[in-house]
Amino acid sequence: MSVPQDLFYAKTHEWVSLDNGVATVGITDFAQSQLSDLTFIELPEVGTSFEAGDEAAVVESVKAAADVYAPVGGEVIEINEALDDAPELVNNDAFGKGWLFKIKVNEESEVDDMMDADSYEELCPND
Amino acid sequence: MNAWSVSFEEPVPYQEGLDIQRRLLKARQDDLIPDTVLIMQHRPVVTLGNRGRANYLLKTEEEYRELGIDLFHAERGGDVTFHGPGQWVLYPILYLGGNEADSHGYLHNLEEIAIRTLGDFGVEGFRREGKSGAWTAAGKIAAIGFRLKKWVSFHGMSFNVSNDLTGFNTIVPCGLVGEPVASLKTILGDACPETPSVRDALLNHFSTVCDRELERFSSDGELPAALNG
Repeated sequence: MSVPQDLFYAKTHEWVSLDNGVATVGITDFAQSQLSDLTFIELPEVGTSFEAGDEAAVVESVKAAADVYAPVGGEVIEINEALDDAPELVNNDAFGKGWLFKIKVNEESEVDDMMDADSYEELCPND
Repeated sequence: MNAWSVSFEEPVPYQEGLDIQRRLLKARQDDLIPDTVLIMQHRPVVTLGNRGRANYLLKTEEEYRELGIDLFHAERGGDVTFHGPGQWVLYPILYLGGNEADSHGYLHNLEEIAIRTLGDFGVEGFRREGKSGAWTAAGKIAAIGFRLKKWVSFHGMSFNVSNDLTGFNTIVPCGLVGEPVASLKTILGDACPETPSVRDALLNHFSTVCDRELERFSSDGELPAALNG
C-alpha cells in the first residue's frame, strides 16, 4: 500500500500536505481500502472553522460510514466538489484527486504533532 | 488478542442499546476497555441509516406508533432495517485502525460470521455480489450497517432467528425492492434452534473470524467495572 514520503499523517488515517499556510487534507490509501467502494462523501462547508481533532467530514460506503477528522485547526477555504459526482476518486487516487478539503491553518506548527511516512507505515498492517 | 462480549438476556429498547454502544465507543477510543462485542435483541424498531431514505418506509409515523414499532434515524451506514425480539443484533465495538486490521475487511468478516453460523444449523448461506449481508435460498437473513468513529466500530449486524418478519413488510429492507427476508425459523420450521444457541454460535464465529479470544459476560451477571456506566 502506498504511503507518500512528503506528507504528514494522523493516527486516524488522514493525510496533510502543507503549502504556504494551506493544508490539503485527505484520507490515506489504507483508510479507503478498509471502507471499500465509497458511495457518498459529506464535506464541510467552506468557511467552517475547525480545531485539530474535530469531526470534519463523513465518508460512506454501502454499509459503512466513517468520520474524518481535521488534522490541523483553521478555516475551510475549499472543498473537493468533484467528489459529489465521483466519490470513487478517493478509492482510486486517495493521495491525489481524492483530496477532501483545504484548510487555511492557524498554527503551521500543528503538523509537527503528526507522523511522517515511516511512522505512519508502522501503524498500518504489513500485508 | 483478548476481547469481551456482553450478552443481554432481555430485549433492549433501541435507544438504551444505542446509549450503551456510545458509552463503550468512547471507552474504547480512550483505551479504557478492550474490543467488546455486545449481543442483544431489540423491541420492535425500524431504523434508517445515515443516508437512509424515508421513501423506503411504507407506513406513516403514526401507523408505526399504532403497530408498536419505534422509528429511529441511526448514524450507521446502510439503509433501512427492522429489529425485533427473536433477532440477534451483534454490535462489535472494535478498534479497526491499527496493525490488527484484517485484509479481508470488516464487512467481509461480519458476513463470514453470519454464513458460518448458518452452517452450524445446516443452512447454506452465501454472499451476493453488490448486495452485502448474508443470504440464503429463502432470502436475506443477516443485514449489516456500521459506523466508525476514530476507527472504532459501532452498530453492526442483525441476524434473524425466530423473529416475527411482518415488521419487514412495513419497509423496503436495505432499500432492496422485491428481495425476500428469511429467518432460521422460516427455513427450519420446528427444527429452528433456541435463540441462546444461535447467540453462542455467533459469538464463537466472531471469535474465530475476527481473531479475538472472548471473555464472555452476561448483562445479568457481574460485569467488569469499566463496562458499567
